Amino acid sequence: MMIQKDTDCDVLVIGAGMAGMVASARASQLGLKTIQAGNSSALVFASGLFDLLGVFPIDSGEILSKPYPAIKKLQSDQPDHPYSKANQKQIEDSFLFLIEFLDSAGLKYHLPGTCNKQILTSVGTFKPTYIVPATFLKGCDLNKVGKNLLIVDFKGLRGFSAKQAASGLGDRKEKTHTLSIDLPENKGGLNPVHLAKSFENQEFIQKLSDKILGFSKKADIVGIPAICGIQNSFEIVKELEEKTGMDIFEIPGMPPSIPGLRLKNAFEKKISDLNTLFLSNAKIVFNAMEDDNFILQAINDNFETRIKAKCVILATGRFLGKGLFAQRNNVVETIFNLPIFQPKTRDQWHQLNFFDPKGHQINQTGLETDDTFRPLDQTGEPAFENLYAAGSILAHNDFARLKSGTGVCCVSAYLAVNNFYKKSHKMRNK
Amino acid sequence: MNKIIETDVLVIGGGVTGTGIARDLSLRGQKCILIEKSDLNAGASGGNHGLLHSGARYVGSDPKAAVECKNELEILKKNAGHCIEDTGGLFVAVKGDDEKYIADFPGMCKKSGVYCKKIDLVLAREIEPALSNEIIAAYEVNDASINPFKISIENINDAVLRGSQYLSFSKIVGFKITNHSIEYAIVINQNNGKTYQIKARTYVNASGAWAGIIAAMAGITINMVLSKGTLLVTSKRMTKRVINRLRKATDGDILVPGGVVSILGTTSVRVKSPDNIYPTIKEVDQIISQGEQIIPALKTCRYIRAYSGARPLVSEGNIEDDRNVSRGFTLRDHQKDGVDNFITITGGKLSTYRLMAEKASDIVAWKHSIFSKCLTKEIPLPSTKSGEWSEPGVPINKPFKTETGNDPILCECEMVPQSAIDTLIDSIKQAKGKPDLKSIALRSRIGKGPCQGSFCSLRILSHMYDRDVLQDISDINDLKLFLNERWKGEQSLLWDQALVQSSLKEMIHSGLFGLELIKDPI
Repeated sequence: MMIQKDTDCDVLVIGAGMAGMVASARASQLGLKTIQAGNSSALVFASGLFDLLGVFPIDSGEILSKPYPAIKKLQSDQPDHPYSKANQKQIEDSFLFLIEFLDSAGLKYHLPGTCNKQILTSVGTFKPTYIVPATFLKGCDLNKVGKNLLIVDFKGLRGFSAKQAASGLGDRKEKTHTLSIDLPENKGGLNPVHLAKSFENQEFIQKLSDKILGFSKKADIVGIPAICGIQNSFEIVKELEEKTGMDIFEIPGMPPSIPGLRLKNAFEKKISDLNTLFLSNAKIVFNAMEDDNFILQAINDNFETRIKAKCVILATGRFLGKGLFAQRNNVVETIFNLPIFQPKTRDQWHQLNFFDPKGHQINQTGLETDDTFRPLDQTGEPAFENLYAAGSILAHNDFARLKSGTGVCCVSAYLAVNNFYKKSHKMRNK
Repeated sequence: MNKIIETDVLVIGGGVTGTGIARDLSLRGQKCILIEKSDLNAGASGGNHGLLHSGARYVGSDPKAAVECKNELEILKKNAGHCIEDTGGLFVAVKGDDEKYIADFPGMCKKSGVYCKKIDLVLAREIEPALSNEIIAAYEVNDASINPFKISIENINDAVLRGSQYLSFSKIVGFKITNHSIEYAIVINQNNGKTYQIKARTYVNASGAWAGIIAAMAGITINMVLSKGTLLVTSKRMTKRVINRLRKATDGDILVPGGVVSILGTTSVRVKSPDNIYPTIKEVDQIISQGEQIIPALKTCRYIRAYSGARPLVSEGNIEDDRNVSRGFTLRDHQKDGVDNFITITGGKLSTYRLMAEKASDIVAWKHSIFSKCLTKEIPLPSTKSGEWSEPGVPINKPFKTETGNDPILCECEMVPQSAIDTLIDSIKQAKGKPDLKSIALRSRIGKGPCQGSFCSLRILSHMYDRDVLQDISDINDLKLFLNERWKGEQSLLWDQALVQSSLKEMIHSGLFGLELIKDPI
């Protein structure tokens, strides 16, 4: 039976990816009555690594070791980029907020610093990123240190070959060993989630430690695919270290991503602890404005809720998150039909070379906003007094190329909520 | 001193004609070497509808070709049934189509002896519910769909079994001509850059769109007209039968089912070179706008990829519309041009590849004073293991068997297991080729489903590292080449769900793995 009810809130966050989660967490923390609607399953595509800015300019082809000086340059070159609406202090504060929030849910990351880290990936490349889960930390900048390395894989865990990851270590390959473990449960492939759960079993950890110990004379640091448990991954890795006497780190690979699943679980747990109403998989329809309030409907198979919200944070993502939709000849925004910055015709969307150094123009499309992250209408004015946008839906940020995905989500979501909070409090104090 | 290989016949070009000739001559006891500068079906043989014409399409424009199609269809159905799906076909017209052509159609079919039967419009929509309700005429014909990759793989496999040899990534760089005949061909192995010589009694130029370039190396001029045709692959099969638009041939008027997908085409755009052709957004939009007139769902359905082939047409004077150049084939014995042991076969179409191979082989046999007649009409084309994985939807029709029960699926869109990849790696190694993602993709369905290689590429690559087929970090370049090859076919079709998928592909391969930051090898 369809349940119908009315509810109201200060902030409605639409979207449950990285930006939506940060916005909802920040709004709750500020004491705003918050409702969040969206589908958090896209988080399993997140690598778990928090990028800030890894490459700039986009076609430089070089990895940045220090992101902040490059952000300064980006702010002067591209005043439309989301980072141009924040200063370094605000960027650091937003990451600190995110990390403390996850820490309180039991998921450990290290604190933000001034340098990028380079992380070995399953295909043997090194990815520049800003902050990594604690379980990845000992594997950072491996290409610079001369340690003897062991890389472990599991037969049947498709897409991860220890030999392939080791190929990335190039001329110090002779100092790298590989171990392929054939588990009895491997019958035509291992499900990464099941394998990650096995790590939560004592007996499994003991057997794995014994196998790794066989390399104790040859190796002093061990890389394992990023599947070391779903809950308590930090404790599991620590236990493996104690049992083997070696340093252990996780290596990111293709989706489904267990570090992404950990993020999803941590966010969901905390947000439910905070008493935020979470409308899972609800489709949001905007009806009208009523006395400066948004009137929207949240619809799914089981319920239909009429929501009255003072503020909406639009964190619906791009094409994957369905915040943007590409018709054959133009891109539209799916909830408010806001104007989208985009090329004139489809033949400008993509380059002929997938890896073209300039990237694809379609990735520059999105919402343009004022300095407080309020999306603009056709005339260049904020489309609504209290509508904010955050995350990958923002224009001028090719996050896959710039390695700036999490950074833009985190900074824009955190600041969008702050900006609304400041504005509404000023109003109240008047 | 360069290495010299001797053989009876050197066949140049690994498309359907070249592989067909290699098999035909092998059956007549001749040893052939087939060389291909890239890999099987890299030209028009891989860039077409996969349609086995009943002949009805040509009854108005080219009755001789219509009769050839009709005869070949019967032979191939009998002898290469495992490469063919006997779908049957329809010709349909919609409001506004040329009524005179519609009225003349049955008479023209009758004249060429091509089967066609008028069917009731209600019945037509019942048997093919995707048809527009605007149709005004429908005729049943004998069209079928054929898998051109499988045809080439099976032909070359049979030729190799009979003592011939296939050399991929081997490119002709020149001929040594003495006393009005080719003494040897100079060939470069593109995998290692080494050149060597192949000495044959007769040299057969079956290089399709490249025929003019190869002939020029022997000092002979052939005026090639290259007409690019672009085709779109839908994510689901739209109809049971081949659907043809009942009108004079033009853009976007044939929809051919192949396994679990359908292929819509085509266009005709004059190009200067057969290399580096790709579908443009203009062509894609034109094909869809024409196709949706007979099958309205083509307007909104998801397309998986687009691809192009260059039709090799031989010009005999000034021609304005390439569709009016004969689709019949051209066979030249270059004795007339002063090179005694060299022939060229080009033009034609997939439907008549066997006949083209027969006619070309007849000349070779005559030159070699061999009197055994062509056997490809009688002896069925055998089915081999390495040909199995090229067919769309194979595992759906025929569940694969896993011998050990431990056979992970590496391509989930098309259900290709690890054991199939292993079979292909071994078969590529046997042909002295270099197993990589592109060569595996050519022989299987990997990368051809909705994910367009986003996931299977990584699973197969890591498996190849595990097997030590790949070892070095520079081998990651194979992944870049493969993804770019897929991209050529995706970039014109990226809207709706396809754009969602390609965004995810970028997030993985660029965002996480940073492949764009790897410097290309020089």
